[in-house]
Amino acid sequence: MGKPTDLVQGTLDLLILKTISLEPKHGWAIAKRIQQVSQEALQIQQGSLYPALHRLEQQAWIKAEWRPTETGRMAKFYSLTRSGRKQLERELANWARLSTAINIVVQEA
Amino acid sequence: MRMLEKARLRLRSLFGRPNADFELEAELRFHLDQLIEENISSGMPPEEARRAARRTIGGLAQWKEECRDMRHTNFVEDLVQDARYTIRSLAKSPGFTGVVVATLALGIGANIAIFTIVHGVLLRPLDYPKPDRLMYLTAESPAIGGARNPLSAPEYVEFRQMNRSFAAVGAYSTGGAAYTTGEVNVTAGDRPLRARSISVDAHLLKALGIQPERGRFFSEEETARWTGTLPPPVAILSHELWRTAFGGRPLVGQKVEIEGRLHEIVGIMPRGADVMDNGTQVWLPLWLHPDTARQRGAHVLYVIARLKDGVTAEVAQTELSAFLENWGERAGTTVHVPMKRPLRSVDHTLQLRALQDAIVGNASRPIWVLQAAVGFVLLIVCANLANLVMARAGSRRRELVLRAALGASRGRLLRQSVTEGAVLAGAGGLLGLWLASVGVRALIHAYPASVPRTSELTIDLPVLLVALGLSTGTALLFGFVSLGRRRTSSMATALKEGAKGASGAWRHYARRGLVIAQVAFAVMLVIGAGLLVQTVYNLTKIDAGFNRSRLVTFSMTLPMANSDPDTRAQAYQRVLDRFRSVPGVLGTVAMSGLPPNRTPDAIATPIENYTSDDGRPVAIIDYYQFVMGDYFGTMGIPIIAGRGFERTDNASQGKVAIVNETLAKRIWKGQNPIGQRLRPPGWSFGANDDVWHTVIGVAKDVRQRGVERPAGTELYVSLDQHGVSPPSMNVVMRTTVPPAALSGTIERVVSEVDAAVPVVRLRDMDSVFAESIRRPKLLAQLLGAFAGLALLLAAIGTYGVLSYMVAERRREIGIRVALGAARFQVLAQIMKQGLQVTAIGAAIGLAGAFAVNRLIASLLFGVQPTDTVTIVLVIATIMAVAVVSSWLPAWRASRVDPNIVLRDE
Repeated sequence: MGKPTDLVQGTLDLLILKTISLEPKHGWAIAKRIQQVSQEALQIQQGSLYPALHRLEQQAWIKAEWRPTETGRMAKFYSLTRSGRKQLERELANWARLSTAINIVVQEA
Repeated sequence: MRMLEKARLRLRSLFGRPNADFELEAELRFHLDQLIEENISSGMPPEEARRAARRTIGGLAQWKEECRDMRHTNFVEDLVQDARYTIRSLAKSPGFTGVVVATLALGIGANIAIFTIVHGVLLRPLDYPKPDRLMYLTAESPAIGGARNPLSAPEYVEFRQMNRSFAAVGAYSTGGAAYTTGEVNVTAGDRPLRARSISVDAHLLKALGIQPERGRFFSEEETARWTGTLPPPVAILSHELWRTAFGGRPLVGQKVEIEGRLHEIVGIMPRGADVMDNGTQVWLPLWLHPDTARQRGAHVLYVIARLKDGVTAEVAQTELSAFLENWGERAGTTVHVPMKRPLRSVDHTLQLRALQDAIVGNASRPIWVLQAAVGFVLLIVCANLANLVMARAGSRRRELVLRAALGASRGRLLRQSVTEGAVLAGAGGLLGLWLASVGVRALIHAYPASVPRTSELTIDLPVLLVALGLSTGTALLFGFVSLGRRRTSSMATALKEGAKGASGAWRHYARRGLVIAQVAFAVMLVIGAGLLVQTVYNLTKIDAGFNRSRLVTFSMTLPMANSDPDTRAQAYQRVLDRFRSVPGVLGTVAMSGLPPNRTPDAIATPIENYTSDDGRPVAIIDYYQFVMGDYFGTMGIPIIAGRGFERTDNASQGKVAIVNETLAKRIWKGQNPIGQRLRPPGWSFGANDDVWHTVIGVAKDVRQRGVERPAGTELYVSLDQHGVSPPSMNVVMRTTVPPAALSGTIERVVSEVDAAVPVVRLRDMDSVFAESIRRPKLLAQLLGAFAGLALLLAAIGTYGVLSYMVAERRREIGIRVALGAARFQVLAQIMKQGLQVTAIGAAIGLAGAFAVNRLIASLLFGVQPTDTVTIVLVIATIMAVAVVSSWLPAWRASRVDPNIVLRDE
């Protein structure tokens, strides 16, 4: 259960990294943000979001800190590290290559 | 940088575990609350919002687990947790744990112990540089069944000069022709002691590639000059003798009395240096009596050679074959030269084999048989454990299914059960290692010389690796078996069925199959052990040709250096005379070679009116026996023709001799042996001349070279008649008192005659016999122990399976009893099941035993591998064991009370 089968393999990492690249966000906000920006096309399963966050943190691409939200509750905010920023660039480049390639194939066919 | 950060994070998640857990919990809780809030703001009532949120999220616990997995620390954590959990749960069932650990320890321990021997004796390379380059050259006389005999001195010298394959060819002797008999008297301080000796030439140490640790080795000059009457007075001591007898004080260049003569110690050997497992303590320069050195008929030298680099054993073999084609032409004689195809009894050939094979010799087969036996035992142990674990898994099904339902993955459960296996196998392995080390030490202690190379046996790295491998293998087997078929079982059914556990046909057959395998292996082992026990029994019952009851024996040596044959004979005569007046001693005699286990002499002996196969009037006689006193009367050897030696012979001029039956038959073939004449060489017993001896009697055969070997040809000469004696003699007394009561008297009598001569190997004849059959006895005892263990385990296996079956079928049995089945019918039915399984196993085991029995055929004596009595006995034993182990579960089944059973349901 909970595997992002509806997402292209590995793109969840890219989405998370991109989403927190502007400002630190907590898990809930990351999921909401992806949902909104994609106009509800991408539904992030909570079951895959948190393991992915922990994995990225373990890779030291993102770091977490506890701070209050606007409503004053404490939440765990994730932000990019320096190596995470590099990783984001790599993943973006990968994605650009991949999507272009897929587009070409799809249009040719 | 990143590496450091990663490491810090992992350490935090590992050690700051409560904190990390708490954070995870809070983070997920925050998410849940956000979801609830969103639901409320979209207009749901709070309660429903909460429920909907929980539904969306699903298993919170499972998420947490996945998050933890992402941290990669779960592996270690789980391991610790699993181990803790395992130890707790195992401690709760001490019976199960105890049985598993004990059987594992026995199975693994037996395997490690035997593998220690396999590795230390058979596999480990010899302790010389490049040991695989060393070869052993022996003389073989297939026509008379002579194998691995030494070479004659001329042959050895010729081979050393002719060959082109070997970098060095050296010789040694431990036999009488080379001055000592493999033992010497050494005077260290004021106490005479007897030490193992070897006579080696300079080439030998070059071939072996060993160097003295201090001092020097013998020069070629000292070992190749076979002239004069005595070897040069130099000696090298073993490191061990130097430490124990001389306290390790500086000794090189000093003089020590060896065989009554001062020898200069020129060197000390390194620790453990030895030749052919001889247990050498004193190394002497090889020296041969000039007569012996010339004689082609005197086979006295053992030869070890080192292949040149780049030359293979096959090349050396081919070269030797070429020599054998025309050895006579090269040597310039046709008399007694090695040849390619030895057909006649006087012919011999030469054979090369790897030195390691030569050292291990015929010990290799019994050792492999034991290894196979303990392998079987381990298989039985594993089968038993698999059964136990399956039974336990059956009763733990509900627990495991519950854990699966709570989110434990299959891999996680498997890991848990493998951990359980690892803890059990680890404990069993450690205990087994301890058992093995104790066992091997006890074995070496109890049978010091039965197995070659035991002085070097240790549990070393390869053995430890095997132990580790065995334990790991068992642990994995364990885990998989106990988890077994979890995949296909539906959680829901399992939970519903509860603790009762549904056991499919698969499991049922598997468990029966395991018991059948156990019984089969046990049958094979018990048959093997039975055959060996019979072998030992047969060996103890062999008529060695003399009456061995109440015989006490010891040996003594009057060194050649400070005594001549006449004074030696007088000294022995004095010893014998004094014993004749000791109360309780019925008769005392002395002889040169102590039956039933002595080295052959193989002396070429001229015989009157006789022509051997190769046309010469000479026969090789296997054993010369020089005797003093009423030899035949005291030993109880019947004279079957003519008469024995008598006192009146001593004064008469004509020398007389007695031959054994085999010699009479082989040489005179049906003619009357009495009155025939032969001429034993005088050097062989200290006489100056070779004189003709007239045969006055024929004695019954006496076993000389091991009780199991047929007697060879033997010639008896009376030393009383010649008034001379060889240096070493064995004294034998027939007494009415035990040897222990005599030991003080014996020491005193011998020291009165010569204070420098130690009494050695004082024992009764029964222990001489016991020693001559100690290897088959050891093998029978070990195999018997393993077979007993196998039988016990198979019995436990049968019992376990039947008990389980009865427990499973309680309901069915209850119904049948309620419907009127008689108790004995129930009992008979369960018994039948047990006996059926055993019978199938026994049949398979019997087939297996027939298939492999030729492997042990060469280890048996007086019993065929297909011996009916043994097989019948074994089958009867197995069935009896099966009856006993089936009876309890069957009886329990017959006591099932339908009221209770049916109410339970």
